[in-house]
This record gives sequence, structure tokens and C-alpha cells, in this order.
Amino acid sequence: MKRTPLAALAALVVIAAVAAHQFGSRPVGDVLAQNAPPAASPPAMAGQPKPEASLIDQDAPYHEACARQGLSQSECVGRLIWFKATAGNERFHTYTFQQRIGVLVDWFRVLRADQRDDRFWAWGIINDPACCKPGDPDCPAKSAEETYGFDWCPGDDVLLKYVGKPGYVDPACGLQDAPLDADDPHSKGGQRDQRHSPCDLKFGTSTGALGLRKFPNPRFDAAKWQALNGGNASWSGFATSKFAATGVDSDQRASKLADASVEPPFLIGTTCGSCHIAFDPLNPPADPAHPKWENIKGLIGNQYTRMSELLGSGMPKSALEYQMFAHARPGVTDTSALSHDQINNPGTINALINLAQRPVFKGETVTKWRKVTTCGDQKDEAKCWCEPGRDGKCWQMSTRDDDTTPVNLGGQKVVLPGVHHILKGGEDSTGALEAIQRVYFNIGSCSEQCWVNHFSDMRQVDPEQRGFGQTPFNVGQCRRDCPNFRAVEDRLQTILDFFASAESDQTDLAAARANERRARQPAAAYSASDLAADLEKEFGKGAVGRGQAVFADNCARCHSSIPESAGGAFATRDFAAPNEAHPRKIRADFLGNDQSTPVTEVGTFRCRALHSNHRAGHLYMEYASDSMRQRAMVADIPERNELKDGGRGYLRNVSLVNVWATAPFMHNNAIGPEICGKPANPDNDFHRARYVGADGKLLASQPDCLRYDPTVDGRFELYKRSMHELLHPKERGTKRTLTNADLIIDVGIRPLEGKTEKPLLGFGQVRIPAGTSAGFLNGLQHKQLVADLFLAKRHPDKLEAAGKKNQLATLQAMADEVLKQPARFVDILRERRDFLSANYETCTEEIENAGHRFGEDLSEADKKALTAFLATL
Amino acid sequence: MTMKKAALLTLTAALATLAACSKPEPPNIGYAPYDKGYQSKMDLAQVDYKYPIPPAELAKITPDYLAKLEQEQLDQLYARLAAGPIPDGAFDGRILLPRGESGKFRLTEIVGGFSGTLLHLKGLVIEDIGEALWRGKVFYRDERVLRNRIEDLSILKKMGLVEGEPKKMQYGGKETWLLFPAKLYCGQSLLDARRESIIIDYFFTDEIPGYQESPDYLAGRRGLKVRDEIRMIRPGFYLGRAYLDRGFALNFTLYDKATDERLRDEFVKTGQVQEDCWPGTQARITVASSKP
Repeated sequence: MKRTPLAALAALVVIAAVAAHQFGSRPVGDVLAQNAPPAASPPAMAGQPKPEASLIDQDAPYHEACARQGLSQSECVGRLIWFKATAGNERFHTYTFQQRIGVLVDWFRVLRADQRDDRFWAWGIINDPACCKPGDPDCPAKSAEETYGFDWCPGDDVLLKYVGKPGYVDPACGLQDAPLDADDPHSKGGQRDQRHSPCDLKFGTSTGALGLRKFPNPRFDAAKWQALNGGNASWSGFATSKFAATGVDSDQRASKLADASVEPPFLIGTTCGSCHIAFDPLNPPADPAHPKWENIKGLIGNQYTRMSELLGSGMPKSALEYQMFAHARPGVTDTSALSHDQINNPGTINALINLAQRPVFKGETVTKWRKVTTCGDQKDEAKCWCEPGRDGKCWQMSTRDDDTTPVNLGGQKVVLPGVHHILKGGEDSTGALEAIQRVYFNIGSCSEQCWVNHFSDMRQVDPEQRGFGQTPFNVGQCRRDCPNFRAVEDRLQTILDFFASAESDQTDLAAARANERRARQPAAAYSASDLAADLEKEFGKGAVGRGQAVFADNCARCHSSIPESAGGAFATRDFAAPNEAHPRKIRADFLGNDQSTPVTEVGTFRCRALHSNHRAGHLYMEYASDSMRQRAMVADIPERNELKDGGRGYLRNVSLVNVWATAPFMHNNAIGPEICGKPANPDNDFHRARYVGADGKLLASQPDCLRYDPTVDGRFELYKRSMHELLHPKERGTKRTLTNADLIIDVGIRPLEGKTEKPLLGFGQVRIPAGTSAGFLNGLQHKQLVADLFLAKRHPDKLEAAGKKNQLATLQAMADEVLKQPARFVDILRERRDFLSANYETCTEEIENAGHRFGEDLSEADKKALTAFLATL
Repeated sequence: MTMKKAALLTLTAALATLAACSKPEPPNIGYAPYDKGYQSKMDLAQVDYKYPIPPAELAKITPDYLAKLEQEQLDQLYARLAAGPIPDGAFDGRILLPRGESGKFRLTEIVGGFSGTLLHLKGLVIEDIGEALWRGKVFYRDERVLRNRIEDLSILKKMGLVEGEPKKMQYGGKETWLLFPAKLYCGQSLLDARRESIIIDYFFTDEIPGYQESPDYLAGRRGLKVRDEIRMIRPGFYLGRAYLDRGFALNFTLYDKATDERLRDEFVKTGQVQEDCWPGTQARITVASSKP
């Protein structure tokens, strides 16, 4: 075969596969750049720059919240960081995501002040109570022209002065750090503050939505911006397609947002709070679009956020990337969406409740960096490294099985005797502090310095080239090269202290109802007994007590953190009993043992259990324990061994604490009603039909979605309906995520004839009709397919040697067909769907709400009883 | 040994020495070891840290030296460069075509991006076209625009990709084609995220003054979707990477002799150069000489 046909074959297969993927100085440099940050920020105590004072102290409501909840100084600092620190990811969300990964975010669409009242309903994100709409009474900004169309937020009187100019001193530089921890080896017994400058936490100011922060862009060119947008109040010229200007069809899919020569006024960063900040179940807002600070908590997790749609907000629905990224349910996000592993595995944002009671695991083999005061004779920096310019601030890489987790509880240090299992499959398993640091990677911090170079490049099909597959990023390198990493790492304990603070304490339904009643009548009371009485009115006499027995018999094996060997028989257990040793006497039982259960036993959406980023050689390798990776392979998972090895195949048994407040259920929120925002702006209505019939196609009539309702009654109603579905699997319907628009990829050279494109070779567009399985597209191993098609034509012997003799004939036939009729390649792949599923799919599961059928055989009375009982926990 | 033989040997030695003197001294640049698989390649941050290149060695790099490197070596070299100043004026261009093992083409060389594939379907090879067409680039730094110097459009005309006669422009005292205009900015490298590169982006080529639909569309979003990125080897000398629809296609160099000769000694002496783009946060190591 000649080169050209082969080239054409390989090339077309790439197109087809990706299409299918959607469907079925030494100072060399004297840093003069106005945008250049310092290579390393100075130590915290050494001449740290001071932020300019602003009209309104943006920290004031945070300090008030700390006081309201009785948080210690460390807990409060941790809270401030959790809510505000982007750790430098504003570059990721403004430049890297768009240019390197190719996904466009329309930040103005999400954050425009004139749609502030609709923001929650559209995007599920929570308005910052401290911000205001320009022009509103008492708002310091009188016009959106002053704020580039965004809300005005405390600190903006300073920040706005630096749009288009260098010299902004980040408010994080003014952070008053927590007292030193005397037990920290780097603090010299609490005598020496060697923490990295807090400036690199990068707070900026609020965008108007909690967890989304803005920073002045020194590269901003006001004249160019105004010419593009007709002023400062709107980003309309930036966030528009080229179609209006050219009238060419394909330009409907060419957004000006892709023009990276345009510098917006702000860089936008995200904090951990962007997903975790939520309405307080104990004190929900009267109007979700206008919450007050006392309605907000930082750890329960936002059940409504549409983070995937937000991050794809600049893409047309027809875009490949949109259909890849933007199909998670509200409250669900795929943490491997950015660091893509080609497995469709979105997961809910974990509710962080009663953290001190969460199980830890002793004796796990963990290889990681640990703090030491010297490296001794060890010169190998891969084994031990000391930060230059510091006194004995060193880390040693070691493998141990005796790690513990110290937490400050009410001013008292408690050492939990092991490490946590975190993430849906317990993959994150090297320690709580490391897990928090890992979250900062998830949100894009240090992406350029440490992370993105290790991604798999979807367009790199040559296994000899960088980017063909993931490689593990190196925590030691990141510590050395990324100042934001160090700024966070030196404060991880304060964040963990916040996790264990009163803000994570249980939010029981009885307490929520008591608050409701007190709001109406200050003298009103409502106790746990009152709740039980009310539940029994609804679910039957004796329902709570009976439900406890049902729970003990059927659920506690996985959903109690205190095994019978330690806490006595479940049958006689008070699952609500407090931990008397805890300073706030929170519930002793975490109501989940965090142990791993084979996904085939649980039966829920399998793809999440096949998540691969923590495998050896993959991106997050350093954040998984050796013990985790040594978990036995789950033999009855139908995927091929190489898709389920390395400790995969399990789901972690989750906590049921306050399950009344966190429905729908399962790791993908798929069991229970579909929820939606019904925003006023129909363009921002992201609800999609997911109920399918036996043929796998969408039902003509879809059940109504349940509008977001964070009130006590709203949460409880959602809980009841979700419990009903959980316990009545036959009434769940069948949910499957399909593409919700024709997927269009404009390819090839397309000269114009007038306004009409006349593509060379007669075709210039790949179109994949709406209704294709999003999971299939996500999971197609197009690189392997390309390589095998290549070998099938050129080196069939090598394919046979690789054990793929049985695939050879089909691959050769496919290659021949594609070469013969390139315009048919989408159809060719569709016709080979079964072959592709069997050989080139990472996960073949497509039904999202199956499984967890435990309890379906209970009597109706027992199902009601169980529903009543769980509502009390 | 006779006098004649001795004289001949001396003459030969002298000629050999002269010949050696006439060749530029190759740079002493170390490369991290690697094997075939992508997993075998050292993290670029570590390459930068462990194999720093002194300015004196950067000053010895020539296009001929680069042309002999394997792609992984070019990748490692590129990653150790910073963007430097956004260039101004005319640069001579040269395409570098590192081949796969034993002259076999690699998949990336075959594919060259989605759009590039269609050229292959017409029996064309992008790099061959490039070699025939392209002479270099002209940077308009103040306007943040770039145009390509083209001297021969016959190939494209034969292919039916160019109709009519594009207007020529005055440059350097003579009329030439300055085609395929692109936007010029600091942006993300598609190879190495740790610091920005200078990006030459053709996606919105039709917005640039002087755009001529035929043939300029060929590099734009209805054509090959070309996106180049460059980093500075030394003042006046840049290493570039061309991508077609985000798929890596080829390497190239840009050279301005006058700038090189004017600033080289100062660069070797101080290592100082203006950085217009984000230089990243990884501390770069100063070394007097490399010890690969």
C-alpha cells in the first residue's frame, strides 16, 4: 500500500474515531512582562506586599460566620481558604482550558449581572450575598460599564483600578494565618513560621457567585475590548459566533471566544467552594436567588451546580467538547473530565458531614512525601528534598503503613488512627491532607506547572509521542515548581480543621424543622420526638422504630461505621447515639463504613468504578495507596481485564448521615427524580430528557423534572421520592444519557462559493445525529482503534502477534470501506457498533439508574418504615 | 616516511583543521534518555531542571543541528526555551522534518491534524508543499500580526486551491506575496504548558487587514486550521512547532541574521533577554556550561 492511501486511512479513522468518540535565567529571561508573577513569593514574614484597603472589608461576613458557628482561628482560616483560594487556577480557567484542552467557557454568560436573579436557576451556583447588581440602590457601582457587566463585589473598588494594569496586590496577601502548629516538623516546635506567602493562595474578589473569583487582567486592552463589544458593559462581541459577520454556515460553530488574542478584563478562577458551597439545610434561603450569609455552608456540597455545563458554556451544543463535558446531572461533575480518562464517570459532590466520625483505615501501605527536618546524607531529590532558603523544611518520600490523621477538634488535637478512603471508589487513599491538596489540582491549580503536560492528548495517536497517554504528575516537582502548591500545602491542616469544624456537623431534619418553626414563632420548639411523631403520621404507626429494625437487618452491614464486633449487635443499636467524647457530641455512627464493595454487588452505574486516573502510571498515581491498587480484580465485571485491573472495580459504601437533605441518590444522582432549574432564560435551561424505552430511545413523554427546592420541605420531598425509586426499582424507569443535539464537526478544506462552502472531496462535515449514547462516545478508545486499523492494513502480523487475530478481518474490512467511501465513515462505525463495543470501549454500561436493589423485596410497610427511620438520621 | 609524505600528511592535517574551523562548533546539549513509548519520556519540568542549557550553548545551535535531531530531542529542546520577545520584522523560515526510525513515517506525520488529512487524500504531503511555498515570516509586532513570505504559488494553483492572482505587497524594497495573515499573541503551548509560547494563530485570519480569501483561507478555520507556536533559542532565532487542527504537524525555525549577529554576544554574556510572555514559575537554573 502506498503512503497516501495509508495516510488517508489513518487520518480518516482519526476523524471517524473522534467523531465516534462523540457519538456511539539562568536568567535566559529577564522577566519584564507585565503579567509575569514572581518566580517565587517571599516567605510570609519577609516583606510581604500588603493589599490596598477597600471600601468594604470582603472578609467581614466570613469572620461573622466563623463567630456565629464558634469556629476556632484555624478553622476560620481554613474556611476562608476553602471559600476564596483559587491557588492560581485563574490562568487555567482563562487560558489553559480554552487553548490547550480546547473547551471554551463563556464567563459573561454565567456571571452577567443583569441575569443575577436567574443565575442559580440556570447554573445552580449561589449568589454572593455581599455583591450587588450595578445600578441597584446602595450598590457602589452605578452602571455595568464600571464592572464590565459583572456584579460589584467588595474589593472591586481596588481591583477594577488594575484592569489592564500591573501591580495588583492580591487580598490573600493580607491573610492572617492560623497559629503555628507546634507538632508540625517545619515549625520548629511552633517557634518559626516558614509557611509560604499567602499571596499565592490567590483570592481576588468575588465574581458575584460564591466560589468563582475574579482577577484583573493586566494584559487587557480597553480600546480593543470596547471596539469588539461596543463598550464595557457587555461581552457580546467576544461571546458570539462568526456567523453574523460572515454568513457562512460553519461559522455558527466558530465562537469568537476561541480567539485567544482577545484578553478579557478579568481572569476567572474557581475555588473548592465552587462545588462545595451550598445552602444550609438547617437554614435555607427564603429566595435562592438572594441568599443571606447565614443560609450558606461550605461543606455539604452543592446539589444543584451544573459545573459541567458551566465549563462548556462557550461551546455550541453541536460541539464535540460540549457533548463530552456537559451531560452530568445537577450536583454531579466528572472529576476526570479535565484530566480525561475516556471513561464516562461523573460523580456527585461529596457531602462532608461529621468528618471526625468518618472511618479511617489502619495498616494501609502508602507511598508519599512526608515532612521531615533534614534529608541527612540523602542527595537524591526524588527521595528527599529541602526547600531552598528555609531551615529544615524538608520532605522525604517513603513507604509506610502507620499513617494517622491528626485533626483539631474544639481546640483539642485528636489523632485518627489511619487514612481515609475518598472519592467514589476510595481511590484517593494516601491521607486527608493529601486529598485536600488533590482537590486543588482538580480545580486547575498548578495545571500549567505540574499537571497538563501529563494529560492524554485526544489528538495524539502516535504511541511514541508525548501525550499519547497519561503519565503521573510528580508531587515533588510540583512542590518545587509551583508556588501555589506550597501556599496551599503549608495550610492544609487549617483546611482539615475546618472540615472537622461545626460547619460540617450533621444537619438533622428535626433541627431544620425546629429552625423553621422558630423563624415563624421564636418560642416554638420541635424535637426529635416531634419529628418521629410526624413521620409516623405520614408513614404509619411505629414506622420509625420498625424502620430502625429494618435498617439493622438490611442496611447496617454497609451503612454503619461501627461494626457489630465493636459496637454490639445492630439489632439493639441506637444509630443516632452521640459520640460523648466529641466536643459537640455529634452522632457517633457515620452511617457508612467507607469500605469497598465490588461494583457488581452494588449494581449501580459501573463506569465510575472503572475510573483509571489513580492507576500506576496514570495521572493521580501518587494520590492512591499501594493497598488500594492491590485490591483484587472483580472477575464478573464484563469489561476486559486491562480495563478493570489496578484496584478498580469497587464503589465505596457511602454515609447516610442527613440523607434526607442530599437526594437524589447514588454516586451519579441518577436514582430519584431528575431535578432542574427552569430558568427564565430558556437558553440556559440545561435539563435534558433521559428516560428511555426498551429500545434505548427517549420516551416520547418524559416525567416532569422537579425544580430545585432547597427548603426543608423541598429537600424532604425529593428524599421521599428518591427513596421510593430506590426501594421500587421497577418504578424507576430507565435513564440513559444521549447526545441532545446533532454533533457537527467541520472538517477539511472548504473554499467558499459566495457564502456556501464547497468542500474538497465533496464532504466537509461529520454529522452525528442527536440521540447517540454519550457514554459510548466518551468511552471509545479511538487511539487504539486508529493504531489497530493502521496495523491491520500495514502490519497484520503485528496485530496477530498482539493477540488480535480475531479482529483482523473486521479491521481490514473497515479500513477498506473507509478508504473507499470516506464520506460514509460515521455510518461505517455505526454499522460496527457491536465490534467497537466489544473491543474498543472502556465501559459498556449505559443505563445509569440501575442497581442497589437492596430492599426491593421488603414489604411496603417496611419500605415506608425504612424511609421514615432514615429521615431521622 | 619521506619528506613528501610528511608534507602531504601535514597538508592534510592542516586542511582537516581548517575544515573543522570552518564548521560551527556543535552545541553541547544534553538530552534525557528515552525509549520508544510515550511513558519513557522524562517529564519536561525534570528535563528543564536536570539538563539546563547555558546561553553559550544556545548560541551554537544552527538549523542544521536541529535538522538532525529526533522529534523527542526537539521536544526536549523546545521545552527548555522561553518565549523571548515577540519578534519584529522578517525572518527566514526552514521546515524541520525529523523522521521516524529508519525513515519510516510516524502516525503523527501521517495524520497532521484532521484537516491536513484531506490534503493527503489529494496525494499531497503538507511538508512538501510547505518547503516549496514558504520562505519565512514577517512579524508586525506592534499590530500583533504576522504574514508569511511566499514566492511561488504554482503548486497551489495547480491544485486548484488558488484562483486568480493574489495581490503582492511591498516588503524589503521588492514586491512579494505576504499571505496567510495570522494573529500574534502570547498563549499556551500545546507541548509544554509550563510557560507560554508566542502563538501564531490563523483561525481568525479573515479578520486581519489585507486578508485575501484565496489563498489565505487555506490556513484558517475553513482550511488547515494552522496554529504555530514559537520559542526563542537566542535573539533572532526561534524554534517553532506547527499544528493543524491542534494535531502536531512539523517543526520549523525562524532566523533573522542581523538580529542574531547584533545580540548574540550580549546574550551569551548575560543570558538576559526580554520576556513578553508568561515565563512560568519554575525557577530556571543558571549554568556556566552544560555537562550532558
